[in-house]
Amino acid sequence: MLFNSYTFIFCFLPVALIGYFTLNHFNKITLGKWWLALASLYFYSYWSVKNLPLFLISLTVNYFIGHYLHMGIRKKQTLFRLGLVFNIGILCFFKYSGLVGLAQFALPLGLSFYTLQQVGFLIDSYEGLAEEKSFIDYAVFVSFFPQLISGPIVHYQHLMPQILKNDNKHFRVDQFSVGLFVFSIGLVKKVLISEAFSSWAKPGFDEAMTLDLLAAWKTSLSYTFQLYFDFSGYTDMAIGLGHMFNVKLQQNFNSPFRSKSVIEFWTRWHMTLSQFISTYIFTPIVRAMPKINFRNTMIATFIAMFIAGVWHGAGWTFVVYGALHGLALVVNHLRKKKKKKFPGWVSWLLTFNFVNVTFVIFRAKDMSDAIKVLRGMIGLDGVVVPKIGISSVGFLKDYGFEVGSYLYPNDYLMIAMFVAVFWSIHKAKNSIELEKEFKPSVKLACACGAAFVLCIFGMNRITEFIYFNF
Amino acid sequence: MTNEEILKNITVFIHDVLEAPDLNVTPETSAADVDEWDSMTHIQLISAIEKSYKIRFALGELQTLKNVGDMVNLIQKKLNN
Repeated sequence: MLFNSYTFIFCFLPVALIGYFTLNHFNKITLGKWWLALASLYFYSYWSVKNLPLFLISLTVNYFIGHYLHMGIRKKQTLFRLGLVFNIGILCFFKYSGLVGLAQFALPLGLSFYTLQQVGFLIDSYEGLAEEKSFIDYAVFVSFFPQLISGPIVHYQHLMPQILKNDNKHFRVDQFSVGLFVFSIGLVKKVLISEAFSSWAKPGFDEAMTLDLLAAWKTSLSYTFQLYFDFSGYTDMAIGLGHMFNVKLQQNFNSPFRSKSVIEFWTRWHMTLSQFISTYIFTPIVRAMPKINFRNTMIATFIAMFIAGVWHGAGWTFVVYGALHGLALVVNHLRKKKKKKFPGWVSWLLTFNFVNVTFVIFRAKDMSDAIKVLRGMIGLDGVVVPKIGISSVGFLKDYGFEVGSYLYPNDYLMIAMFVAVFWSIHKAKNSIELEKEFKPSVKLACACGAAFVLCIFGMNRITEFIYFNF
Repeated sequence: MTNEEILKNITVFIHDVLEAPDLNVTPETSAADVDEWDSMTHIQLISAIEKSYKIRFALGELQTLKNVGDMVNLIQKKLNN
C-alpha cells in the first residue's frame, strides 16, 4: 500500500490508529502490539500477498537465531555465521541471480531494507547488546509499517523502547498534530514536486534517442530533484506516521544538496544507510586489516561505498555508481589530509555536479543510456536554443547553434521550479528543522490543510516510490 | 578512574588523531561540530582508545555515540565490567 493513496490515508491509517490506541486504552497492551503487527502485515501484502511468506520466514528465522544467540549457546559463532549467510544469501539470490545466468526473480518488496535491519539485529545480539525479547515485540520491530518498505533503517534499541514506554501507549494530540504536519510536507514533496520533476526527467531517459545540451541538463537535474523529493518525501511521511504512533524515527535526510564535499554528502543523504554501512561494513573491514593507517582505511572506504552502490541492484550502472562515489570519497579524504580546500562555492558546485552526474548513471537503464545523457550534457549532440519571447535568436545559427521552438507554459513552470528548488537548497529550512520549530496555529493548520487538499486532488495518478525498487 | 580523567585522556587522543591540538573538547563536543572528525578519523580514534584502555567496543555501541560525553560514559561502563 502506498502512503500517497486514498486507501491508505482514509481507510487504513485511521483504522490502524483507532484500533491500536483503543486496545491500549483498555489496557490490552499485548493485543495492541498484535494489532500493530497484523495491520503492518496487511499493509505489506495489500498489493501482492506473494511477498508475505518470504517476509514471515525471514522474520521468524531471525527471531529464533537472535533468541539462541542471546541464550549464549556453545556454538554461538557458527549460529551467527549461519544467520548472516541466511540473510545475505536471500538478498543476493533475489538481487543478483540474473547475473550468474540463473532466472531473475522479481525483488520482493522491501527485502533490502528488512534484511539490513535484521542483520544489524543479529550482530547486536551476537555482541551481547540486544536483550531477550518476546516474539511479538520482535515482529513489531521488523514490521512497523511506517518504516517497513523503505526505511529509515532502525535499530531495535531505538524503536522498541519507544513503543513499549507507558507514556506512549495513549493517543497524544501533540504528537498526532506534529505527525500530520510532517506527513503533509512529505505528501507535498511526493505528489506535487517529485511527480512534476518526474515528468521532465522521464522523456529524456526513456524516449529520446539523443539529447542536446539544454535537454540533457533538464533531464539530469530533473531526475536528481525527482529522486530527492521522492525519497525524502517518503521519509517525511514515514517520520510523520511514526509520530502519530508516538515514535520518533531517525532522520534520513539533512539538506543533502547543501553539501560542500562528497564526505559531507554521505552524512546528509540516506543517513541511516550511511550509518549502517559505516558501522556494520566499514568498521569490521578496518578492524580486519593488519594495521589501521590511512591507506588501509581508504581501501575500506572504497569497498564499503562500492557495496553501498551495488546494494541498490545488479546492473553495471550501480557498479559504476558505487565505484565513482568510492573513488570520490578517497580523493576527498586525500585532499582533506593535505589540508587542501577550494573556496566554498567551488566546493559546492563540484559536489553538486558530481552527485548530479552520478545520479544519471544511477537512473539509467544501462550504461549506454547513461552515456546518451552525459554526452548531451557536454554538448556533443548539439545545442538547441529556444526562441525566447518575440526577439529573434536567428543570428545564433551563424555560430553553429540550432534554434528550436518557442517555450511552452510547461517550460516556464519548469524554470520556475528549478529556481525555487535551488533557492530552497540554500535558504529554506528542511522538514526536520521545521518539525523542531513546530507550533500549532490556525494559520499553519490552514496552510497544511490547503496543501493536503491539493495533494489529495493530485493523487489520482498514484505512482510508486523509487526506493521500492531497491 | 573518574569521568574527568577519561575525558582528559581521550582529549589527548582527539588532538592527536584529528591533528587539531587547539580544539576545545567538552562532553558536548560531537563529530558534527568538527570538520576533521569524519568516518576515517573516527575509526582511528576508536582504535586508539580500545588499545589504550584494553577494551573493545561492540559495533552497535559505536553507532549510539552522539558526543564525547557518551564516549566517556561508554568507556567508564566498559572499565567497570
